[in-house]
Amino acid sequence: MSAPLLRFAHVTYRHAGALAATLVDVTLEVSPGEVVALAGAPGAGATTFLLVAGGFAPRLIGGTLEGTLHSAVAWPGIVFAAPWTQLTGLCQTVLAEVAFGPAGLGLPRAAVRAAAEHALERLGVLHLAPRDPATLSGGELQRVIVAAVLAQEPDLLLLDDPAAELDPAGADALYALLPDVAAAGAAVLVATPDTERAARVATRAVRLDGGRVVADGAPAAVLTDTPAARIARAAGCPAPLPLDADALVARVAR
Amino acid sequence: MTLRDLVVIRLGVAVNLVIGQIVAALLLPIFLDAMGTILVAALVGPRAAILAGLTSQVLAAVLSGNFAWLPFALVQVVIAVYAWGAARRGVFRRLSTALPAGLLLGALSGGTAAPIAYFVFGGATAGGVTLVTTVLRAAGLPLSVAVTTASLSTDLLDKTIAFGLVCLVLRALPRHLAARFPALTR
Amino acid sequence: MIGYRPGDSPLHRAHPYTPLALAAALLLAVFAFGSPGAVGAAVLAAVVLALAGGVLGYTARPALALGLTTWVLLLVLHGLLGPEPFVAAGPLHVSAAGLRRALVLGGRLTAILVAFLTVLAVVSPARLVDAMTDRGVPFARMYLLVSTLTLVPRLRARAAQVLEAQQCRGLRLGGSPLARVAALGPLVLPLVLGALAEVDEQVLALDARGAGRPGRRTALDPPGDSALQRTVRWAALLLAAAAFAAKFAGHAL
Repeated sequence: MSAPLLRFAHVTYRHAGALAATLVDVTLEVSPGEVVALAGAPGAGATTFLLVAGGFAPRLIGGTLEGTLHSAVAWPGIVFAAPWTQLTGLCQTVLAEVAFGPAGLGLPRAAVRAAAEHALERLGVLHLAPRDPATLSGGELQRVIVAAVLAQEPDLLLLDDPAAELDPAGADALYALLPDVAAAGAAVLVATPDTERAARVATRAVRLDGGRVVADGAPAAVLTDTPAARIARAAGCPAPLPLDADALVARVAR
Repeated sequence: MTLRDLVVIRLGVAVNLVIGQIVAALLLPIFLDAMGTILVAALVGPRAAILAGLTSQVLAAVLSGNFAWLPFALVQVVIAVYAWGAARRGVFRRLSTALPAGLLLGALSGGTAAPIAYFVFGGATAGGVTLVTTVLRAAGLPLSVAVTTASLSTDLLDKTIAFGLVCLVLRALPRHLAARFPALTR
Repeated sequence: MIGYRPGDSPLHRAHPYTPLALAAALLLAVFAFGSPGAVGAAVLAAVVLALAGGVLGYTARPALALGLTTWVLLLVLHGLLGPEPFVAAGPLHVSAAGLRRALVLGGRLTAILVAFLTVLAVVSPARLVDAMTDRGVPFARMYLLVSTLTLVPRLRARAAQVLEAQQCRGLRLGGSPLARVAALGPLVLPLVLGALAEVDEQVLALDARGAGRPGRRTALDPPGDSALQRTVRWAALLLAAAAFAAKFAGHAL
């Protein structure tokens, strides 16, 4: 068990100009190798949690943070739902866009190129390397953005509804990557309404309600509102409930 | 200059370059090509607004191919600094203060543009201003007067409306967005 | 039309700073020249630049189109309405000094237009960014100039969308001048407020990609440079500066 990467101790965070706190008395730890699914209704604080975890709030967006956050994170990566606003706007080709992060480290050219191409390959979009980002579809662009973030080898990967623009196959492929990223030593936090897909890859789940942590544990215990789980519950299946369609089928077939 | 400042400046420049599209659709005889600069002045500050104005000047030349506008960079500086001063005095809180302030800027910027047009191009730059200049000259006015009058008349309307629009934008900003810009004195 | 044209001319293959420096030198020099002859030489130099880039066709047409109104107005403003004495030129009486002035001013405009349109045609933005990165130009400067150009088409598309949406809601584009000014609000506000709402996410994304990081960035594909090109760039700029010095010393060209 490695030392925790992040330690929240009674963290309360209020956005600049907001009347109420978005995160209230949050206490938990995140260690490398974990894939943590963040569940909660819109406005429950999941996105804000990601921003605070990555050290983006209050540094870049203001606001007040109470409590203590111990962070050993060297380089956080963050992926949002809409791809367009995440482009640097400086790069004429997909390869340059993905290489932007590694290029900022002053690494030799060959290493930068290799990192970019490797990341593009992981997302299955190496063939888009010479294309102009402005000509890509939303789904293709989102995959390029994820590649760009992965090319930097972040030790904390934050994702906010990352598959919103992707088709089902693309979404499956994206979530399937997360355990690999964690296996390489990073911690992965993914906030998403797509609890079924998150449940397939998460090692842990945290539910937020009104900014407070109301559940924190195994996905099977926390993510009990996936469509499959709801069906299973209604049918009277005993705990632990199956969380996704495959598990439901497997349970019923027994 | 923080990353946030850069992103806002970029937005201001883009607004300067794009808003002409809307104005053209409404067939109004103005450009509003400094609205972004004025917005940046109110949201960030004078240095950022000057940068926005100068960048807009360069990019407008690049996009339209008409590099003759480059010497008018000084006018952008005047607009940026004035707009910042106006914002600090809370001019953008009400339309009743914003519109007259815009009128005054129109006089200032038109007055600054005129000598540039006169010395650099002998009173002739592309477009409507030169036409007005020519007509006035043909009517017998001395060149310097003709140039100044032409610059002023388009600028007065343009800057008044620009200030009015920026006032409306700032008042319509939702609370959480406004909180991101410490320069806004609410 | 205006914009980059791929090609294989010496200017295309040169380091992007070279055509930029040559055009800048011309821009400087042209304001130091005061006679139609010298300005004419500048125009010729600009044309030679365009030929060297193999883009004379692409630059000549827009340059003429952009300059035409100004030329006509200059000739009228200074030629016909200029100061005494007048000379006969066919059926017209033109001011000699005024005609000279018109030629100088119009020539300046044409030289500048041709030179910079040539630069636009031979310098690819991606190559320029690589060149600047390689020279250590900080991210901030490049970001403002280059990334704004990628934002403009998106914002234009959004402006068109807002136009359409508001018209569907009953906004009329015509009418009295006052009505048209009033229509500016529902068209401009959604566009600007929408763009402002995106600022947070853009800042976060850029920061996470290391854009705020100090230090030298690696250029992926930096264009080659040579001692010859460096010499040419410096020589051109020095000559232009010399022309200006001469002008202020009283030896106008």
